[in-house]
Amino acid sequence: MASPLRSRPELTSVPTSDVTGPAYESHNLSVDLDSSEGARRILTGVDLEVAQGEFVSVLGRSGTGKTTLLRVLGGLLDPTADSTVSFRGEPVEGPPEGAVFVFQNYAASLLPWRTIERNVDLGLEGKVSKPEMRQRTAEALALVGLADRAKDYPWRLSGGMQQRVQLARALAVRPSALLMDEPFGALDAMTKSSLQDELQRVQERTGATIVFVTHDIDEAVYLSDRIVVLEGSPATIGHRIDVDLPRPRHQLATKELPAFLKLRRAVYDTIVDVHGQAGDVA
Amino acid sequence: MTAPITAPASARAHRPARGRSFPPLRGLLPLGVLLGIWELTGSEGSPYFPPPSTWARGLNRLWEAGTLRPAIGETLVTFGLALVVATLLGAMLGIVVGALRKADRALGPSLEFARAMPPAAMVPIAALLIGYDEKMKVAVVTFAAIWPVLLNSRAGVRALDPVLLDTARSLHLSWFDTMRKLIAPALLPAVLLGVRVAAPVALVITLLVEILTRVGGLGALIALSQRNFLSGQVFGLILVAGLFSFVVNGLVAVLEGYTFRHRPR
Ligand SMILES: Nc1ncnc2c1ncn2[C@@H]1O[C@H](COP(=O)(O)OP(=O)(O)OP(=O)(O)O)[C@@H](O)[C@H]1O
Ligand SMILES: [Mg+2]
Repeated sequence: MASPLRSRPELTSVPTSDVTGPAYESHNLSVDLDSSEGARRILTGVDLEVAQGEFVSVLGRSGTGKTTLLRVLGGLLDPTADSTVSFRGEPVEGPPEGAVFVFQNYAASLLPWRTIERNVDLGLEGKVSKPEMRQRTAEALALVGLADRAKDYPWRLSGGMQQRVQLARALAVRPSALLMDEPFGALDAMTKSSLQDELQRVQERTGATIVFVTHDIDEAVYLSDRIVVLEGSPATIGHRIDVDLPRPRHQLATKELPAFLKLRRAVYDTIVDVHGQAGDVA
Repeated sequence: MTAPITAPASARAHRPARGRSFPPLRGLLPLGVLLGIWELTGSEGSPYFPPPSTWARGLNRLWEAGTLRPAIGETLVTFGLALVVATLLGAMLGIVVGALRKADRALGPSLEFARAMPPAAMVPIAALLIGYDEKMKVAVVTFAAIWPVLLNSRAGVRALDPVLLDTARSLHLSWFDTMRKLIAPALLPAVLLGVRVAAPVALVITLLVEILTRVGGLGALIALSQRNFLSGQVFGLILVAGLFSFVVNGLVAVLEGYTFRHRPR
């Protein structure tokens, strides 16, 4: 469908070409969090580089610090003073312009007193003109297939639809990066795969960089360009696995490719290898 | 397994209580029947249980003398003013105490102590400090009505999901917008629940203060009638107070229903 007549929807804010270099870059990233015995190091020496438009998944057993890492990238949590984290060349101090968080707990993140449309407006109000806001919200809702539910309230929607609303809200601000913390973790398998495909389509059309936290090995292999595995306590990146499967990917065809099965096995092995059991992940 | 870290709980937290419209009037039927029986069996001259027809006559007398209407007005003003002040002050204090651990530790014990003070015991103190006037009435009633609002607001703040604040930050909302668009509406159910509990308390204390101090209002009129052994009039006035409280409760329910008309039930 690469017809020149069909213009690409302008959903990425900043054209990806005017900044060269990685979207995210972290060196020696460490995080201390309060615990009952004073400060505890959660992450240590995390060196991560995410290219513009890249899809990177973060895997690791429960409690290793995946959410913590993502919150640092989103500017919601400060790392230690000797850490460096930058987004598009600028040091991250507070939530950076152009990177939006998508939370696993969609129900707590959406405002039940606002319609879906007004929920999507939230990040635009006061920042763009009214007509532009209307247009962007409509576009974002269309992109996630919810154009016809604009006037409804989020709590009338299924979980999958509510997560779509949150995605639309993030997309409406035209971010160049999405930080997604187990966004499909609470959804059933069918809804999950349809949202995975939706996310792929969105990324294809917007060129957004995506950092995606998940417990699901299949999901990570299916969606990613690269997988990083957090291990240890304090945690650091123990494995990096490139996923060079052809795109666009298909739920059945891609998952039947020998390359997919090999990668899935490889990721699985690193995790079994590390923990001696697989039960903690997946 | 991936246990969802936080269950989608916000929908539940926002759920307002049932009873979102004015209570149906047919619920008053048993009371009506009781009053009818009373009327038929009671005797005119009874000093303790005067039948309802004497209540009406007593009220009518007061109305014609021009004392009933201003008394209702005064009670209404005291009650309304005190409830508004209690709501604003209680919500503000509750939010601060709920949000700041330090404020909670510093103020917590004093708040518990003050809450345990019976409002009726405050009347002499307030009268001494402020004098026998309208301001004293409002102060005492506010003191009684503030606790449900304060404690519910505090609980509301503590129950706020941190994801809501992260959402605001990630979308670059200003502090003011975060308060106005997220925090205030998220806390509204808790504050209104406090108001619903506070309203009847405020009314009871208003009448009590008026009866104790005779400073205007329905309560003062009740006390006066009682002293003059006009028992029909006393019952009539109590009926008016009852109707008053019925209307107040109904209005609070209607307000809640309207405010939460678009929220999950
Ligand atoms: N607000 C906090 N204060 C103190 N410690 C925290 C806080 N949040 C998380 N931690 C600790 O940091 C560690 C990493 O937590 P994090 O939520 O990042 O793990 P995770 O990999 O996302 O786990 P899961 O897969 O279960 O979501 C845990 O040991 C947790 O106890
Ligand atoms: Mg997590």
